[in-house]
Amino acid sequence: MKYFLTIFFVTVFFWASDAQKKAVVLSKEMVTVPAGNYQPFFISETNKPVQVKAFRMDEHAVTNLEFLEFVKANPQWQRSKVNRLFADTNYLRQWKSDLSIGESNKKIYNSPVVNVSWFAAQAYCQWKKKKLPTIAQWEFAAKGAPKNLKSPSLTEYILSWNAKPNPPFLPNVKSTYQNAYGLYDMYGLIWEWTSDFNSFIGSQDSRGNNEVDFKNFCAGGAINVADKTDYAGFLRFSFRSSLKGNYCIRNLGFRCAIDL
Amino acid sequence: MKILIYSLFTVVLFSCSNVNTQSAFTGEVQKSNTAAVGTLSSESIYQLTDTFQTQDNKNVTLASFKGKPTVVAMIFTHCTYACPRLTADIKNIESKLKDENGKVNYVLVSFDADRDLPDTLKKYATSMGLDENWTLLHGDENVVRTLSVLLNVQFAKDAEGNFSHSNIISVLDKKGVLVFQKEGLGADAAETLNTIRQLF
Repeated sequence: MKYFLTIFFVTVFFWASDAQKKAVVLSKEMVTVPAGNYQPFFISETNKPVQVKAFRMDEHAVTNLEFLEFVKANPQWQRSKVNRLFADTNYLRQWKSDLSIGESNKKIYNSPVVNVSWFAAQAYCQWKKKKLPTIAQWEFAAKGAPKNLKSPSLTEYILSWNAKPNPPFLPNVKSTYQNAYGLYDMYGLIWEWTSDFNSFIGSQDSRGNNEVDFKNFCAGGAINVADKTDYAGFLRFSFRSSLKGNYCIRNLGFRCAIDL
Repeated sequence: MKILIYSLFTVVLFSCSNVNTQSAFTGEVQKSNTAAVGTLSSESIYQLTDTFQTQDNKNVTLASFKGKPTVVAMIFTHCTYACPRLTADIKNIESKLKDENGKVNYVLVSFDADRDLPDTLKKYATSMGLDENWTLLHGDENVVRTLSVLLNVQFAKDAEGNFSHSNIISVLDKKGVLVFQKEGLGADAAETLNTIRQLF
């Protein structure tokens, strides 16, 4: 009897310690983003400033190690088992196998997990009893003033990041800057999923196709932008609108939030 | 000691026995309709196991539309311009399929989780003259968002609680696989009709 128990515990011990030897999951803090007004990027008669209520947000993006815990606990999200409807073939392609990031990938253990679909991100946050932030929450949180940023302006910083190719190994979380709310890497590391990424933004290619914009004419869209110099904003909103829920992209990850 | 071991094994057994009934998406154990979902193709949107309420206040999952081709669109009933037209476009499809009456499901899912409760949906169905082949669905906000992502429908709620949204008619085959989509109002229905006819 004791023998069986010993085997059992040894197995459990090895199972727990084997996969990512010595790797330590960073403790994850959430910070409170205070209530405020968010001016939507696109303006229309009905798209008025949104009151964003105070909410909590992960201080950094979900890492590969953190996501590994989720995949272990939820086998249907393993790379070989995941449903194509919920994640395309690039899902977790940076990992060595279903349950191993790989020794040669040590550098990215604490880097943001990327190549994850919206469905996977949703499921992760749900598992953590959290949710993905909305576009309004994410954009509002990202407006927090940067601490210790060397660039002359946040927009210039973002654009210089956008101009760089993806590094072979994504840097660790907390490796860029922290903003006034205590959030790390809102820009400069990855793009992040939002719960309502598929929000309608009034594509002028489908004139007459929705209630609010049906009176618009060709190229009318550019007039209705809150800040025409916010080139980085244009990039984010057009990137979001090009996504589908099962897309897995090498620089797209996520962090979770909780409504207060 | 024995008790400890038995309880360990019970936990292990119990967790194994649940695997087959877990939702592919959330991993949550389903409460109903597990047998039906088990036979679905991996592309079927009927794998979503969330519950919706019909205009008759019945709880259903999408899997209940299995067995017939299904025409589905997303709307909200306070919508004065696009949604009645989109509904009319689908009624037009139905009228062209008169000979196949009862063989197609017509489903409208509301964006408006707050206002489009079953009663409101029932009134909309009556005022639009929708027959027994139609099902109007209310779902929680996150459930509706998930469905919109699966159907490639973009939508946003504005400050007045109305919705701007893309107008898309989707055709699902008998197993719930998305096989065709037509975007726009008053669009030519010929292709949509051809697709549906091939699904019987």
